[in-house]
Amino acid sequence: MTGARTDWALEGEGLTRRFGGFVALDNVSIALRPGEIRGLIGPNGAGKSTLMDVLSGRGAASGGRVRLLGQDIGALPARLRRRAGLARSFQKTNIFPDLTVEQQVRLAARAAEADNAAEVLDALNLTALAQRRGADIGYGDQRRLDLALALVGRPRVLLLDEPAAGLSMSESLTLAALLRDLAARWQVTVLIVEHDMEVIFSICSHLTVLHLGRILAEGSPDEVRAMPEVITAYLGSSAA
Amino acid sequence: MSIKRGVFPIVLLAIAIAGGVLPTLVGSALLLTLLTQAVINAILASGVGFLVRQNGLVSFGHAGFFGLGAYIVALSATYHVMPIGFALALAILAPALLALLLGLAILRLVGVAFSMLTLAVAQAFYELVLHWRELANGDDGIAAELPPRILGLDLAMFQQPGSMFLICWAMLILLLFGLRLLVESPFGTLTLAIRENEERARFIGFETIVPRAIVYAISAAIAALAGVLFTLYNGFVTPNVLYWSLSGEALVMAVIGGTRAVWGPALGAVIFFLFKDAAGDLTEHWPAIIGGTLIVVTVLLPRGVSGTITMLLERLGARAP
Repeated sequence: MTGARTDWALEGEGLTRRFGGFVALDNVSIALRPGEIRGLIGPNGAGKSTLMDVLSGRGAASGGRVRLLGQDIGALPARLRRRAGLARSFQKTNIFPDLTVEQQVRLAARAAEADNAAEVLDALNLTALAQRRGADIGYGDQRRLDLALALVGRPRVLLLDEPAAGLSMSESLTLAALLRDLAARWQVTVLIVEHDMEVIFSICSHLTVLHLGRILAEGSPDEVRAMPEVITAYLGSSAA
Repeated sequence: MSIKRGVFPIVLLAIAIAGGVLPTLVGSALLLTLLTQAVINAILASGVGFLVRQNGLVSFGHAGFFGLGAYIVALSATYHVMPIGFALALAILAPALLALLLGLAILRLVGVAFSMLTLAVAQAFYELVLHWRELANGDDGIAAELPPRILGLDLAMFQQPGSMFLICWAMLILLLFGLRLLVESPFGTLTLAIRENEERARFIGFETIVPRAIVYAISAAIAALAGVLFTLYNGFVTPNVLYWSLSGEALVMAVIGGTRAVWGPALGAVIFFLFKDAAGDLTEHWPAIIGGTLIVVTVLLPRGVSGTITMLLERLGARAP
């Protein structure tokens, strides 16, 4: 599946992550085509966030390679991976509480040497909140701001760790639609971890299922939904 | 929260003018001496407060930079190592450079670990001047043999409370104006962002240690400036200018004044000095009164005096039609 192909947007090859004697990721390989929205699902403790951390540079891999557009970025710190075009958001809202919404997006634009701060504010419906402090806006707005910080500069690949966590069903689906629209418009490849299957099935063209640090299955949403091992390990019989 | 952008220069100008006429209104040389010392300490406290504001870090070692600045001027003048102008520049730049290099090494530490290391470094300098008698005359201190003219001004201008108050006051006003420009600059926004969420700053593409080290260096330079003014005014330094209790006092001033506004620590220093003087008249146990006051201020005014003033002004502004 993998190999040093330059036509993959993002490629993790043989990624392993150990914490002492515990193996959180065990020789995991994953490759994303440009423009695809890939869902990464699995039960708690499967290694999803660990994989996101290893890909984004938040945690070092114990073994394996990470390539972005064919370039090996495994040795780069997170900030340089971001500058190379790999952005991420976090499981918990990760913004700058005391800065205004506009200050935060402009700061991210400065780091990315981009001039699309106003465009991103507008695209994520944050323009009206531009002068409000991050701490003073609603939770749903903070999640969109978190996404805005990652999207400034139009990264080539975006890693999203549970972007809909804590949102209502309607907010989640609105965010999913927005995400699908922006990814298509700005040609961003997305790897998304999400427990909300409505969100996953509504925007992902391809799914990877992790279980106990290994890849259990891959395929289209319909294929994955029908796999007995996935139903047993994660989805449950009602999803089939 | 801070005073609105357009209002700050006007308020600062009014305060500058008020301070400028103060020596003509204050007849007591003793009070002017006290006020001059208060302004020198206000500069030191501004350095400590700037570090808290922009880096979120508490230094227990700023007396080290204050004392280095003071001793570099005193030793350079006494041993005639270099022209006084160079000595003044070196006395500010050397502590700043030391802080920059130190910052690059220790700013990865957070909280108490950072504070303890700053304390250890300052105490190392204290022990150095205390025990190296051949260099700095140990705990007897040294009288700086300052030249008769410094930067075109008579030495007497620096050593008489009336004129020195004006010099220190002008330095403080310029410093606060400069700090205000700095915190509102893109660099100020970046360091504030790093203070709030360093991980996120890295993940949007910023290097985070160097900007924090620069803040630490600026803060050290401000403390060293205060040390330089101290030596010029007193013409005498002892190891006490490097002792941890001075770092602690500067921190108390910053806490009383509040660090969210750049002028808060300076206000805290003036309050601290006047209060200390008044408490000293009442009892020799004045530190207990200061300690009690600090507890009360911390509990009742968690944003410090400046934060409370700003909050009241904003409430008044919100009520105005």
